[in-house]
Amino acid sequence: MLSYITISTTVEIICFFVALFCISQDKSIAWRSLVLFLFITCITELLGIHFRKLFVADMTHVHQNVWLYNILLVIQACFISFMFNHLLKKYINSKPIIISGLALLAVSYLSDISNHGFFIYNETTNTVMLVLFVLYGLYYYYRLLKDDTYINFTYSAEFWWVAGLLLFYFGSTASDVFFNNLSPYKASSLRTLSSSIFKALNIILYSCWSYSFICRKWLTMTSAA
Amino acid sequence: MVNNDISGLIIITTIIFLIAPAFILLYIFVYNQRKKRHILEKAQMKQTFQSELIKTQLEVQEQTMQTIGADLHDNIGQLLSLTSLTLNSIELGNKTKAQQKIDAAIDLTGRSIKEMRLLGKLLQGDQLMALGLPEAIRHEINWMEKSGHFEISYTVTSEAPAGNNPDKDLILFRIIQEILNNIIKHAAATDINIEMEYLSEQVKLEITDDGIGFDADNLPMQQRGMGLQNIQKRAGIIGGEVTIKSNPGEGTNITICIPYP
Repeated sequence: MLSYITISTTVEIICFFVALFCISQDKSIAWRSLVLFLFITCITELLGIHFRKLFVADMTHVHQNVWLYNILLVIQACFISFMFNHLLKKYINSKPIIISGLALLAVSYLSDISNHGFFIYNETTNTVMLVLFVLYGLYYYYRLLKDDTYINFTYSAEFWWVAGLLLFYFGSTASDVFFNNLSPYKASSLRTLSSSIFKALNIILYSCWSYSFICRKWLTMTSAA
Repeated sequence: MVNNDISGLIIITTIIFLIAPAFILLYIFVYNQRKKRHILEKAQMKQTFQSELIKTQLEVQEQTMQTIGADLHDNIGQLLSLTSLTLNSIELGNKTKAQQKIDAAIDLTGRSIKEMRLLGKLLQGDQLMALGLPEAIRHEINWMEKSGHFEISYTVTSEAPAGNNPDKDLILFRIIQEILNNIIKHAAATDINIEMEYLSEQVKLEITDDGIGFDADNLPMQQRGMGLQNIQKRAGIIGGEVTIKSNPGEGTNITICIPYP
Protein backbone atom coordinates (compact mmCIF):
# COMPACT_ATOMS: atom_id res chain seq x y z
CA MET A 1 0.00 0.00 0.00
CA LEU A 2 2.82 2.36 0.91
CA SER A 3 4.28 1.94 -2.55
CA TYR A 4 1.30 3.89 -3.90
CA ILE A 5 2.25 6.89 -1.80
CA THR A 6 4.97 8.69 -3.74
CA ILE A 7 5.84 12.38 -3.80
CA SER A 8 4.02 12.80 -7.11
CA THR A 9 0.85 10.99 -6.05
CA THR A 10 0.83 12.87 -2.72
CA VAL A 11 1.02 16.33 -4.30
CA GLU A 12 -1.51 15.33 -6.94
CA ILE A 13 -3.99 14.01 -4.39
CA ILE A 14 -3.53 17.10 -2.17
CA CYS A 15 -4.09 19.32 -5.21
CA PHE A 16 -7.18 17.29 -6.14
CA PHE A 17 -8.66 17.77 -2.66
CA VAL A 18 -7.86 21.49 -2.72
CA ALA A 19 -9.60 21.68 -6.10
CA LEU A 20 -12.55 19.67 -4.77
CA PHE A 21 -12.94 22.06 -1.86
CA CYS A 22 -12.24 25.29 -3.71
CA ILE A 23 -13.57 25.02 -7.26
CA SER A 24 -16.07 22.16 -7.41
CA GLN A 25 -18.88 24.74 -7.05
CA ASP A 26 -17.22 27.35 -9.28
CA LYS A 27 -19.48 29.20 -11.71
CA SER A 28 -17.05 28.57 -14.57
CA ILE A 29 -17.28 25.15 -16.20
CA ALA A 30 -13.61 25.41 -17.25
CA TRP A 31 -12.48 25.72 -13.65
CA ARG A 32 -14.92 23.02 -12.47
CA SER A 33 -13.61 20.66 -15.14
CA LEU A 34 -10.16 20.82 -13.53
CA VAL A 35 -11.51 18.83 -10.58
CA LEU A 36 -12.38 16.02 -12.95
CA PHE A 37 -9.03 16.37 -14.70
CA LEU A 38 -7.14 16.12 -11.42
CA PHE A 39 -9.24 13.13 -10.39
CA ILE A 40 -8.38 11.36 -13.65
CA THR A 41 -4.70 12.29 -13.18
CA CYS A 42 -4.65 10.86 -9.65
CA ILE A 43 -6.36 7.64 -10.77
CA THR A 44 -3.94 7.32 -13.70
CA GLU A 45 -0.93 7.77 -11.41
CA LEU A 46 -2.21 5.15 -8.98
CA LEU A 47 -3.08 2.76 -11.80
CA GLY A 48 0.34 3.46 -13.30
CA ILE A 49 2.02 2.30 -10.09
CA HIS A 50 -0.26 -0.75 -10.01
CA PHE A 51 0.51 -1.73 -13.62
CA ARG A 52 4.22 -1.18 -13.07
CA LYS A 53 4.08 -3.65 -10.20
CA LEU A 54 2.29 -6.15 -12.43
CA PHE A 55 4.88 -5.60 -15.16
CA VAL A 56 7.79 -6.12 -12.75
CA ALA A 57 6.13 -9.32 -11.54
CA ASP A 58 5.48 -10.70 -15.03
CA MET A 59 7.44 -8.99 -17.79
CA THR A 60 6.58 -11.55 -20.42
CA HIS A 61 2.81 -11.31 -20.29
CA VAL A 62 2.17 -7.79 -19.03
CA HIS A 63 2.86 -4.58 -20.95
CA GLN A 64 4.59 -1.56 -19.43
CA ASN A 65 2.22 1.09 -18.02
CA VAL A 66 3.10 3.49 -20.85
CA TRP A 67 -0.22 2.93 -22.65
CA LEU A 68 -1.97 4.43 -19.62
CA TYR A 69 0.05 7.64 -19.95
CA ASN A 70 -0.70 7.68 -23.66
CA ILE A 71 -4.39 7.87 -22.71
CA LEU A 72 -3.59 10.57 -20.14
CA LEU A 73 -1.93 12.60 -22.91
CA VAL A 74 -5.28 12.87 -24.72
CA ILE A 75 -7.05 13.90 -21.51
CA GLN A 76 -4.32 16.46 -20.68
CA ALA A 77 -4.52 17.95 -24.17
CA CYS A 78 -8.30 18.31 -23.99
CA PHE A 79 -8.66 19.70 -20.46
CA ILE A 80 -5.71 22.10 -20.59
CA SER A 81 -6.72 23.33 -24.05
CA PHE A 82 -10.25 23.87 -22.74
CA MET A 83 -8.87 25.88 -19.83
CA PHE A 84 -6.65 27.97 -22.11
CA ASN A 85 -9.65 28.62 -24.33
CA HIS A 86 -11.45 29.95 -21.25
CA LEU A 87 -8.48 32.18 -20.31
CA LEU A 88 -7.81 33.55 -23.78
CA LYS A 89 -11.40 34.14 -24.88
CA LYS A 90 -11.47 37.23 -22.65
CA TYR A 91 -8.99 38.85 -25.00
CA ILE A 92 -9.38 37.21 -28.41
CA ASN A 93 -11.48 34.76 -30.35
CA SER A 94 -9.42 31.84 -29.06
CA LYS A 95 -11.40 28.98 -30.59
CA PRO A 96 -9.51 28.87 -33.94
CA ILE A 97 -6.15 28.80 -32.12
CA ILE A 98 -7.19 26.12 -29.63
CA ILE A 99 -8.89 23.95 -32.28
CA SER A 100 -5.82 24.24 -34.55
CA GLY A 101 -3.61 23.24 -31.61
CA LEU A 102 -5.81 20.24 -30.86
CA ALA A 103 -5.79 19.25 -34.52
CA LEU A 104 -1.98 19.41 -34.55
CA LEU A 105 -1.85 17.26 -31.43
CA ALA A 106 -4.27 14.76 -32.97
CA VAL A 107 -2.11 14.46 -36.08
CA SER A 108 1.02 14.03 -33.97
CA TYR A 109 -0.73 11.47 -31.76
CA LEU A 110 -1.94 9.39 -34.70
CA SER A 111 1.50 9.61 -36.29
CA ASP A 112 3.13 8.38 -33.06
CA ILE A 113 0.66 5.50 -32.73
CA SER A 114 1.08 4.46 -36.35
CA ASN A 115 4.88 4.60 -36.00
CA HIS A 116 5.36 2.58 -32.84
CA GLY A 117 1.98 1.36 -31.63
CA PHE A 118 0.15 2.09 -28.40
CA PHE A 119 2.60 0.54 -25.92
CA ILE A 120 5.46 3.02 -26.41
CA TYR A 121 5.17 6.50 -25.01
CA ASN A 122 4.15 9.21 -27.54
CA GLU A 123 7.21 11.43 -27.03
CA THR A 124 6.58 13.56 -30.13
CA THR A 125 3.02 14.34 -29.06
CA ASN A 126 4.29 15.19 -25.59
CA THR A 127 6.90 17.57 -27.05
CA VAL A 128 4.36 19.22 -29.38
CA MET A 129 1.99 19.62 -26.43
CA LEU A 130 4.79 21.11 -24.34
CA VAL A 131 5.58 23.71 -27.02
CA LEU A 132 1.90 24.50 -27.58
CA PHE A 133 1.11 25.02 -23.90
CA VAL A 134 4.21 27.13 -23.36
CA LEU A 135 3.15 29.31 -26.32
CA TYR A 136 -0.42 29.57 -25.01
CA GLY A 137 0.92 30.50 -21.58
CA LEU A 138 3.26 33.16 -22.92
CA TYR A 139 0.56 34.56 -25.20
CA TYR A 140 -1.84 34.73 -22.26
CA TYR A 141 0.73 36.71 -20.26
CA TYR A 142 1.30 39.00 -23.24
CA ARG A 143 -2.43 39.75 -23.44
CA LEU A 144 -2.57 40.21 -19.69
CA LEU A 145 0.17 42.84 -19.81
CA LYS A 146 -1.36 44.59 -22.81
CA ASP A 147 -4.70 44.83 -21.05
CA ASP A 148 -5.44 48.26 -19.57
CA THR A 149 -7.10 46.99 -16.44
CA TYR A 150 -4.90 46.31 -13.45
CA ILE A 151 -5.04 42.86 -11.85
CA ASN A 152 -3.24 42.04 -8.64
CA PHE A 153 -1.33 38.93 -9.70
CA THR A 154 -0.62 37.91 -6.12
CA TYR A 155 -4.26 36.84 -5.81
CA SER A 156 -4.96 36.03 -9.46
CA ALA A 157 -6.05 32.40 -9.91
CA GLU A 158 -5.48 32.53 -13.68
CA PHE A 159 -1.97 33.94 -13.27
CA TRP A 160 -0.85 31.17 -10.90
CA TRP A 161 -2.51 28.43 -12.93
CA VAL A 162 -0.55 29.46 -16.03
CA ALA A 163 2.61 30.06 -13.93
CA GLY A 164 2.52 26.45 -12.66
CA LEU A 165 2.03 25.13 -16.16
CA LEU A 166 4.85 27.27 -17.62
CA LEU A 167 7.31 26.30 -14.90
CA PHE A 168 6.44 22.62 -15.31
CA TYR A 169 6.68 22.50 -19.08
CA PHE A 170 9.75 24.77 -19.33
CA GLY A 171 11.47 22.81 -16.60
CA SER A 172 10.69 19.46 -18.13
CA THR A 173 12.11 20.49 -21.52
CA ALA A 174 15.70 19.56 -20.63
CA SER A 175 14.73 16.13 -19.29
CA ASP A 176 12.43 15.46 -22.23
CA VAL A 177 15.05 16.45 -24.80
CA PHE A 178 17.82 14.44 -23.17
CA PHE A 179 15.72 11.32 -22.74
CA ASN A 180 14.28 11.50 -26.21
CA ASN A 181 17.63 11.95 -27.90
CA LEU A 182 20.12 10.23 -25.64
CA SER A 183 18.54 6.78 -25.52
CA PRO A 184 21.95 4.98 -25.55
CA TYR A 185 22.69 6.64 -22.21
CA LYS A 186 19.45 5.74 -20.48
CA ALA A 187 21.25 4.30 -17.51
CA SER A 188 19.40 3.72 -14.25
CA SER A 189 21.15 6.69 -12.55
CA LEU A 190 19.82 8.97 -15.29
CA ARG A 191 16.37 7.50 -14.90
CA THR A 192 16.53 8.28 -11.18
CA LEU A 193 17.65 11.82 -11.98
CA SER A 194 14.81 12.30 -14.45
CA SER A 195 12.37 10.93 -11.92
CA SER A 196 13.69 13.35 -9.26
CA ILE A 197 13.39 16.29 -11.67
CA PHE A 198 9.78 15.36 -12.43
CA LYS A 199 9.03 15.01 -8.73
CA ALA A 200 10.35 18.53 -8.14
CA LEU A 201 8.43 19.85 -11.15
CA ASN A 202 5.27 18.13 -9.95
CA ILE A 203 5.65 19.83 -6.58
CA ILE A 204 6.01 23.22 -8.33
CA LEU A 205 3.08 22.57 -10.69
CA TYR A 206 0.62 21.31 -8.11
CA SER A 207 1.65 23.92 -5.52
CA CYS A 208 0.96 26.69 -8.03
CA TRP A 209 -2.32 25.08 -9.04
CA SER A 210 -3.42 24.54 -5.41
CA TYR A 211 -2.67 28.19 -4.67
CA SER A 212 -4.53 29.16 -7.83
CA PHE A 213 -7.60 27.21 -6.67
CA ILE A 214 -7.42 28.87 -3.24
CA CYS A 215 -7.25 32.29 -4.95
CA ARG A 216 -10.26 31.31 -7.05
CA LYS A 217 -12.16 30.39 -3.89
CA TRP A 218 -11.19 33.72 -2.27
CA LEU A 219 -12.39 35.54 -5.35
CA THR A 220 -15.74 33.74 -5.24
CA MET A 221 -16.12 34.44 -1.51
CA THR A 222 -15.20 38.12 -1.77
CA SER A 223 -17.40 38.71 -4.83
CA ALA A 224 -20.31 36.95 -3.06
CA ALA A 225 -19.77 39.12 0.02
CA MET B 1 31.89 9.12 -15.81
CA VAL B 2 29.73 9.78 -18.90
CA ASN B 3 26.61 9.36 -16.77
CA ASN B 4 27.92 11.89 -14.24
CA ASP B 5 28.62 14.42 -17.01
CA ILE B 6 25.19 13.91 -18.51
CA SER B 7 23.54 14.17 -15.08
CA GLY B 8 25.32 17.47 -14.45
CA LEU B 9 24.30 18.73 -17.87
CA ILE B 10 20.66 17.75 -17.34
CA ILE B 11 20.56 19.42 -13.91
CA ILE B 12 22.14 22.64 -15.20
CA THR B 13 19.88 22.75 -18.26
CA THR B 14 16.81 22.09 -16.12
CA ILE B 15 17.79 24.90 -13.75
CA ILE B 16 18.32 27.26 -16.70
CA PHE B 17 14.97 26.23 -18.16
CA LEU B 18 13.36 26.94 -14.79
CA ILE B 19 15.10 30.28 -14.38
CA ALA B 20 13.77 31.46 -17.76
CA PRO B 21 10.04 31.28 -16.83
CA ALA B 22 10.87 32.51 -13.32
CA PHE B 23 12.38 35.64 -14.90
CA ILE B 24 9.36 35.99 -17.16
CA LEU B 25 7.09 35.84 -14.11
CA LEU B 26 9.28 38.34 -12.26
CA TYR B 27 9.23 40.70 -15.24
CA ILE B 28 5.43 40.41 -15.44
CA PHE B 29 5.18 41.24 -11.74
CA VAL B 30 7.43 44.30 -12.08
CA TYR B 31 5.61 45.48 -15.21
CA ASN B 32 2.30 45.00 -13.45
CA GLN B 33 3.47 47.16 -10.56
CA ARG B 34 4.38 49.88 -13.05
CA LYS B 35 0.94 49.52 -14.62
CA LYS B 36 -0.60 49.96 -11.16
CA ARG B 37 1.46 53.12 -10.56
CA HIS B 38 0.48 54.46 -13.98
CA ILE B 39 -3.23 53.83 -13.27
CA LEU B 40 -2.91 55.53 -9.87
CA GLU B 41 -1.15 58.52 -11.42
CA LYS B 42 -3.88 58.77 -14.05
CA ALA B 43 -6.57 58.67 -11.36
CA GLN B 44 -4.68 61.30 -9.37
CA MET B 45 -4.40 63.53 -12.44
CA LYS B 46 -8.12 63.15 -13.06
CA GLN B 47 -8.80 64.07 -9.45
CA THR B 48 -6.50 67.10 -9.71
CA PHE B 49 -8.29 68.14 -12.88
CA GLN B 50 -11.68 67.82 -11.21
CA SER B 51 -10.63 69.77 -8.12
CA GLU B 52 -9.02 72.43 -10.33
CA LEU B 53 -12.25 72.64 -12.30
CA ILE B 54 -14.29 73.16 -9.13
CA LYS B 55 -11.77 75.77 -7.95
CA THR B 56 -12.04 77.51 -11.31
CA GLN B 57 -15.84 77.51 -11.12
CA LEU B 58 -15.67 79.06 -7.66
CA GLU B 59 -13.19 81.69 -8.82
CA VAL B 60 -15.36 82.61 -11.79
CA GLN B 61 -18.33 82.93 -9.43
CA GLU B 62 -16.25 85.00 -7.00
CA GLN B 63 -15.15 87.31 -9.80
CA THR B 64 -18.77 87.69 -10.89
CA MET B 65 -19.82 88.54 -7.34
CA GLN B 66 -17.02 91.12 -7.09
CA THR B 67 -18.14 92.70 -10.34
CA ILE B 68 -21.74 92.77 -9.14
CA GLY B 69 -20.71 94.21 -5.75
CA ALA B 70 -18.65 96.94 -7.38
CA ASP B 71 -21.40 97.72 -9.87
CA LEU B 72 -24.07 97.89 -7.19
CA HIS B 73 -21.92 100.26 -5.16
CA ASP B 74 -20.45 102.42 -7.88
CA ASN B 75 -23.14 102.48 -10.49
CA ILE B 76 -26.64 101.41 -9.51
CA GLY B 77 -26.22 102.69 -5.93
CA GLN B 78 -25.19 106.11 -7.24
CA LEU B 79 -28.04 106.19 -9.76
CA LEU B 80 -30.63 105.33 -7.09
CA SER B 81 -29.16 107.87 -4.62
CA LEU B 82 -29.36 110.52 -7.31
CA THR B 83 -32.95 109.48 -8.07
CA SER B 84 -33.83 109.76 -4.39
CA LEU B 85 -32.20 113.20 -4.14
CA THR B 86 -33.96 114.38 -7.27
CA LEU B 87 -37.35 113.22 -6.03
CA ASN B 88 -36.74 114.75 -2.62
CA SER B 89 -35.93 118.11 -4.13
CA ILE B 90 -39.22 118.39 -6.01
CA GLU B 91 -41.23 121.46 -5.09
CA LEU B 92 -44.82 120.74 -5.94
CA GLY B 93 -45.62 124.48 -6.15
CA ASN B 94 -43.29 124.96 -9.12
CA LYS B 95 -44.90 122.69 -11.69
CA THR B 96 -42.41 123.31 -14.54
CA LYS B 97 -39.34 122.55 -12.38
CA ALA B 98 -41.14 119.63 -10.74
CA GLN B 99 -41.89 118.16 -14.18
CA GLN B 100 -38.18 118.49 -15.15
CA LYS B 101 -37.08 116.76 -11.97
CA ILE B 102 -39.67 114.00 -12.40
CA ASP B 103 -38.38 113.44 -15.97
CA ALA B 104 -34.81 113.34 -14.66
CA ALA B 105 -35.86 110.82 -11.98
CA ILE B 106 -37.62 108.69 -14.63
CA ASP B 107 -34.46 108.77 -16.73
CA LEU B 108 -32.29 107.79 -13.76
CA THR B 109 -34.70 104.96 -12.85
CA GLY B 110 -34.62 103.74 -16.46
CA ARG B 111 -30.82 103.67 -16.41
CA SER B 112 -30.89 101.80 -13.10
CA ILE B 113 -33.27 99.21 -14.60
CA LYS B 114 -30.95 98.82 -17.59
CA GLU B 115 -27.96 98.29 -15.28
CA MET B 116 -29.96 95.82 -13.19
CA ARG B 117 -30.80 93.83 -16.33
CA LEU B 118 -27.12 93.67 -17.24
CA LEU B 119 -26.31 92.49 -13.73
CA GLY B 120 -29.03 89.86 -14.00
CA LYS B 121 -27.38 88.52 -17.12
CA LEU B 122 -24.03 88.39 -15.34
CA LEU B 123 -25.56 86.48 -12.45
CA GLN B 124 -26.62 83.76 -14.86
CA GLY B 125 -22.97 82.80 -15.25
CA ASP B 126 -23.68 79.21 -16.33
CA GLN B 127 -25.93 80.43 -19.10
CA LEU B 128 -23.18 82.78 -20.16
CA MET B 129 -20.76 79.84 -20.62
CA ALA B 130 -23.50 77.87 -22.36
CA LEU B 131 -23.51 80.55 -25.06
CA GLY B 132 -19.93 79.54 -25.82
CA LEU B 133 -16.51 80.82 -24.92
CA PRO B 134 -16.36 83.66 -27.50
CA GLU B 135 -19.63 85.12 -26.16
CA ALA B 136 -18.53 84.79 -22.52
CA ILE B 137 -15.29 86.64 -23.33
CA ARG B 138 -17.27 89.33 -25.13
CA HIS B 139 -19.39 89.79 -22.03
CA GLU B 140 -16.30 90.10 -19.84
CA ILE B 141 -14.86 92.70 -22.20
CA ASN B 142 -18.11 94.71 -22.14
CA TRP B 143 -17.74 95.11 -18.38
CA MET B 144 -14.14 96.20 -18.70
CA GLU B 145 -15.01 98.72 -21.37
CA LYS B 146 -17.67 100.26 -19.14
CA SER B 147 -14.93 101.59 -16.84
CA GLY B 148 -13.82 103.82 -19.71
CA HIS B 149 -10.13 103.19 -18.97
CA PHE B 150 -9.50 100.72 -21.77
CA GLU B 151 -9.84 100.54 -25.52
CA ILE B 152 -10.43 96.87 -26.24
CA SER B 153 -10.51 95.20 -29.64
CA TYR B 154 -11.77 91.63 -29.74
CA THR B 155 -11.80 89.41 -32.80
CA VAL B 156 -12.76 85.80 -33.28
CA THR B 157 -11.31 84.78 -36.64
CA SER B 158 -12.96 81.39 -37.10
CA GLU B 159 -16.09 79.48 -36.12
CA ALA B 160 -16.11 77.42 -32.93
CA PRO B 161 -16.23 73.66 -33.60
CA ALA B 162 -19.62 71.97 -33.31
CA GLY B 163 -18.75 69.87 -30.26
CA ASN B 164 -17.44 72.20 -27.57
CA ASN B 165 -15.68 71.19 -24.36
CA PRO B 166 -17.37 72.95 -21.41
CA ASP B 167 -14.56 72.04 -18.96
CA LYS B 168 -11.88 73.50 -21.19
CA ASP B 169 -14.08 76.52 -21.96
CA LEU B 170 -14.43 77.25 -18.25
CA ILE B 171 -10.70 76.92 -17.54
CA LEU B 172 -9.81 79.03 -20.58
CA PHE B 173 -12.34 81.65 -19.54
CA ARG B 174 -10.78 81.79 -16.07
CA ILE B 175 -7.29 82.12 -17.61
CA ILE B 176 -8.54 85.09 -19.63
CA GLN B 177 -10.09 86.62 -16.50
CA GLU B 178 -6.72 86.25 -14.72
CA ILE B 179 -4.86 87.88 -17.61
CA LEU B 180 -7.34 90.77 -17.76
CA ASN B 181 -7.10 91.18 -13.97
CA ASN B 182 -3.31 91.35 -14.27
CA ILE B 183 -3.64 94.02 -16.97
CA ILE B 184 -6.03 96.05 -14.77
CA LYS B 185 -3.84 95.73 -11.66
CA HIS B 186 -0.29 95.95 -13.00
CA ALA B 187 -0.02 96.85 -16.68
CA ALA B 188 -1.32 100.45 -16.74
CA ALA B 189 -2.44 99.69 -20.28
CA THR B 190 -4.91 101.62 -22.39
CA ASP B 191 -5.15 99.44 -25.48
CA ILE B 192 -5.92 95.75 -25.27
CA ASN B 193 -6.13 93.47 -28.26
CA ILE B 194 -7.69 90.02 -27.95
CA GLU B 195 -7.65 87.55 -30.85
CA MET B 196 -9.20 84.16 -30.74
CA GLU B 197 -8.80 81.51 -33.41
CA TYR B 198 -10.15 77.97 -33.63
CA LEU B 199 -7.57 75.92 -35.54
CA SER B 200 -7.87 72.25 -36.38
CA GLU B 201 -7.90 70.45 -33.04
CA GLN B 202 -6.77 73.46 -31.04
CA VAL B 203 -7.81 76.92 -29.98
CA LYS B 204 -5.37 79.83 -30.02
CA LEU B 205 -5.83 82.94 -27.97
CA GLU B 206 -3.58 85.97 -28.12
CA ILE B 207 -3.85 88.90 -25.73
CA THR B 208 -1.71 91.97 -26.29
CA ASP B 209 -1.56 95.17 -24.24
CA ASP B 210 0.39 98.43 -24.49
CA GLY B 211 1.19 98.56 -20.79
CA ILE B 212 4.45 98.99 -18.89
CA GLY B 213 5.50 95.38 -19.53
CA PHE B 214 8.06 93.43 -17.54
CA ASP B 215 11.17 91.35 -18.09
CA ALA B 216 9.44 88.04 -18.83
CA ASP B 217 12.70 86.07 -19.14
CA ASN B 218 14.24 87.20 -15.87
CA LEU B 219 11.28 87.59 -13.60
CA PRO B 220 12.16 86.35 -10.09
CA MET B 221 9.92 83.59 -8.74
CA GLN B 222 8.47 85.75 -5.96
CA GLN B 223 7.50 88.41 -8.50
CA ARG B 224 5.83 85.94 -10.83
CA GLY B 225 2.91 86.07 -8.46
CA MET B 226 0.05 83.61 -8.25
CA GLY B 227 -1.52 85.02 -11.40
CA LEU B 228 1.15 84.00 -13.91
CA GLN B 229 1.77 80.69 -12.16
CA ASN B 230 -1.95 79.93 -12.16
CA ILE B 231 -2.20 80.72 -15.85
CA GLN B 232 0.67 78.33 -16.67
CA LYS B 233 -0.66 75.63 -14.33
CA ARG B 234 -4.22 75.78 -15.59
CA ALA B 235 -3.17 75.71 -19.23
CA GLY B 236 -0.95 72.71 -18.42
CA ILE B 237 -3.84 70.83 -16.86
CA ILE B 238 -5.77 70.92 -20.12
CA GLY B 239 -2.67 70.09 -22.14
CA GLY B 240 -2.07 73.62 -23.34
CA GLU B 241 0.91 75.95 -23.61
CA VAL B 242 1.30 79.59 -22.64
CA THR B 243 3.91 81.86 -24.19
CA ILE B 244 4.55 85.18 -22.49
CA LYS B 245 6.50 87.84 -24.36
CA SER B 246 7.18 91.07 -22.56
CA ASN B 247 9.85 93.70 -22.07
CA PRO B 248 9.84 96.75 -19.80
CA GLY B 249 8.03 99.61 -21.58
CA GLU B 250 6.98 97.46 -24.52
CA GLY B 251 3.72 95.95 -23.35
CA THR B 252 2.91 92.29 -23.03
CA ASN B 253 1.88 89.58 -25.44
CA ILE B 254 0.43 86.34 -24.12
CA THR B 255 -0.36 83.43 -26.47
CA ILE B 256 -2.29 80.41 -25.28
CA CYS B 257 -2.67 77.27 -27.36
CA ILE B 258 -5.02 74.58 -26.06
CA PRO B 259 -5.89 71.27 -27.74
CA TYR B 260 -9.58 71.57 -28.59
CA PRO B 261 -12.22 70.22 -28.25
